[in-house]
Amino acid sequence: MTRYDLGIDEDLCWGCKTCEVACKTENGAPYGIKLIAVGEERPALPDGSLSFVFRLSRCRHCEVPDCMEACNFDAIEQRRDGIVVLDQAVCGGCEACVTACLYRAITFDRAERVAMKCNLCHHRIDQGLLPACADNVCQAHCIRLVGAAASPEGEIHDRV
Amino acid sequence: MTDFRHSNAPLEMEVYGYDRVVKSHCRGCHGGCGVLVYVKDGRVEKVTGDPDCPINHGTMCSKGLAAPRIAYHPDRLTHPVRRVGPKASGKWERITWDEALDTVAERILAYKEKHGAESVVMGYGTGRENEAAIYRFANYLGSPNVLTAGHFCYGPRIATTVITCGSNPIADYANNPACIMAWGNNITISNPDEYKGECFSQALNAGAKLIVVDPRLTRPAARADIWLQLRPGTDTALALGMLNVIVEEELYDHEFVANHVHGWEEFKARVAEYPVARTAEITWVPEEKIRAAARLFATTKPGVVQWGVAIEQQVTCADNNRALLALMGITGNIDVPGGQMLFRQPPIRNVSQFGAHKALPPEQAAKRLGGDHFRLAGNFGIINPKYVWDAILTEEPYPVKLLFFISSNPLMTRANAREVHVALEKVEFMAVADFFITPTAELADIVLPAATWLEMDYIGDFWKRHGWLLPRRKVIQVGECRSDHEMLNDLAHRVGQGEHWWDDFEQGLDWILEPSGITFQEFLKTDRLRGDVTYRKHEERGFSTPTGKFELYSTKLEEWGYDPLPQFREPPMGPVSRPDLAADFPYILITGARQPGFFHTENRQVPVLRELHPDPEVEIHPDAAAREGISQGDWVVIESPRGAIRQRAKLSEGLDPRVVSAQHAWWFPEKRDPGHGWDESNVNILIDNDYSNCDPAMGATSVRTLLCRIRPETDADRDRLAGVQS
Repeated sequence: MTRYDLGIDEDLCWGCKTCEVACKTENGAPYGIKLIAVGEERPALPDGSLSFVFRLSRCRHCEVPDCMEACNFDAIEQRRDGIVVLDQAVCGGCEACVTACLYRAITFDRAERVAMKCNLCHHRIDQGLLPACADNVCQAHCIRLVGAAASPEGEIHDRV
Repeated sequence: MTDFRHSNAPLEMEVYGYDRVVKSHCRGCHGGCGVLVYVKDGRVEKVTGDPDCPINHGTMCSKGLAAPRIAYHPDRLTHPVRRVGPKASGKWERITWDEALDTVAERILAYKEKHGAESVVMGYGTGRENEAAIYRFANYLGSPNVLTAGHFCYGPRIATTVITCGSNPIADYANNPACIMAWGNNITISNPDEYKGECFSQALNAGAKLIVVDPRLTRPAARADIWLQLRPGTDTALALGMLNVIVEEELYDHEFVANHVHGWEEFKARVAEYPVARTAEITWVPEEKIRAAARLFATTKPGVVQWGVAIEQQVTCADNNRALLALMGITGNIDVPGGQMLFRQPPIRNVSQFGAHKALPPEQAAKRLGGDHFRLAGNFGIINPKYVWDAILTEEPYPVKLLFFISSNPLMTRANAREVHVALEKVEFMAVADFFITPTAELADIVLPAATWLEMDYIGDFWKRHGWLLPRRKVIQVGECRSDHEMLNDLAHRVGQGEHWWDDFEQGLDWILEPSGITFQEFLKTDRLRGDVTYRKHEERGFSTPTGKFELYSTKLEEWGYDPLPQFREPPMGPVSRPDLAADFPYILITGARQPGFFHTENRQVPVLRELHPDPEVEIHPDAAAREGISQGDWVVIESPRGAIRQRAKLSEGLDPRVVSAQHAWWFPEKRDPGHGWDESNVNILIDNDYSNCDPAMGATSVRTLLCRIRPETDADRDRLAGVQS
């Protein structure tokens, strides 16, 4: 059985945040809530100089998801293909998952009182499409869906 | 080429139930990326990249993805309006296109009659592929005054490259440069004018060496083999110091120098004035790094310089460009595969022909504002903005009575914003065409609703120098919005220059393409056109310059009374030129570092883009912040002798502690009063636009280097600068 996850090469990331907006336009998270978020780090190097890298925060679709364990409403399930899905319709807003996630990848929509996280665009994967952030939007080609079979490259017939 | 996957467009159509997908060409910035536009029930639902496009290979930026949210934004101006209250009262009434254009035409003709065509100033901002149409209109009207960003953005690249080697040499990313020197340009974040970040990224992945010249630690600087963190405003000195090493160590291309350059001996003598020790002292860059970068660039071929606007917004604008051209030239990287290519367009009527520059009568050209002052600019039809503000305010050398800004927001983007404001308040008549009623438009008499790229047919990248032409296809109509070209075509008929335009603008597109033997409709059936690619054209034909050579020593600059060789000059508003000011304003302020999602003043009303950067930020080193009592995220006051603004502190070790970096173009569309916070965080309030703070040849205003002080904001500051906040 394929296990899906995002493969991200942070060394290649330029910090353009296109993935954030691709996710937003697909998943419609409210203002201020990011299911994938690009952050900055400036670690000191051994020689005393400074580096500068971007780190992407997103759900890791853990093999043993702490969030699922913590959820009081059975709103989080792990699919057979490894995708950990949070169902907002079932979410009771207890925020236990937010606390449980080691990666701080779950955010909380205060207005709607529901938790939100990356569900790996499973609605797209199930139709043979790639997640929005991994669908060749990234100029560095640094985000990929790991575990997927390649989609055939389609011809664009209807031009006008 | 890295292998990459993308989803299948027919499957996207099926899954989401789209009605059609249209291949088009984005212009969220200056334009340039191939896109697929998905439509359902007549509305654009989604924009993605076109994997077949040679510019972006299917990848995108945040602005392009958000295009439908700009097009359908609830604040979008969708019909012409006329102001019915005082300027900046925010009182507008809806009018028809006929009323709007008749009013503008009537005013243009009346001012032309009474004060001469030169009293009518047309303007655009960074250029939205409307440049040639605006010049065409002005030239047939007889006005030599087109006010653009051209004095300090791209215009200098065109002017300096044309006088040096005939055209703009473009990095040939498709043929894998072995060394890339990114000079004051972060191509992964900004909108460079030809190729985009994807090609740069791929070249690095293929193994290219990287040298980055930047006062800030950017991600490319962190990835670079060598990062040269120079003192802001000393680019010419650094380039001349590197040239000194290349000449001294004989690392230049001897064949190219022997056969293809003009002024080698004079050039050698000039670079000898910049020994590495002196260069290091001027630039703050250690000697060994200057040497290492010069050697790496000169010996790793093919090599390219990836340059951009930052070096042009300095008093050494033209010399910065010319010194970098010398680096490209003497290392033998001009017009070679993977080097710096002089690409050609397919046979078309180019921007120069379409712009009808020959139609401007010489006696009118002679009246160009500042034309005999900034003579390099003047010879390329470019003017300095202060000349226009002065002509409005003092009526010298003659009055300017009418401004027509098309996709331009000069209140936010031109130096000395308070003077701009006074001038825009005083000018007798102003029309603006834009997507929204911006702070500049709030001072207009008539505002016209401009079409976004989703709403127009056009020949994409018509003005660029990479040789590609890509069809832009009209997908939707929003309200009564019109493309700038169609609007000007209509207006041209109303001012009596209809014979030089067309019944329908599509015929104008046919006219551009005619030398290629195709119509616009036939062009739409193609994916793209490209000009013939021939390398080393100079070996056969020389360069298109007065001497036929690559002019290290510029005969044109000499003819116009300038130093024919590049030289370093201190920034007028820097610690060396003004130690008196530096006592009170101890930091070097740099401005204009780009943020993803915004294009200068644009897109701050689009939530998915605004949330990338909710507030204006000023970067400051933690040591400097500690000294000033500033913590991460504090609102701070930045002051220059010209005024004060507020931004939020972002602490960054990636800057020299003597330098701070403020963002530009910030206004607040969510503030519903007609000022929209134009003077709250606008960095141009701090910047001097005096002619002495401009490049003497190009008139480029030095907006990138000045002196400031910075401190935490008090409640009184906040009330004064922002009004009381809830």
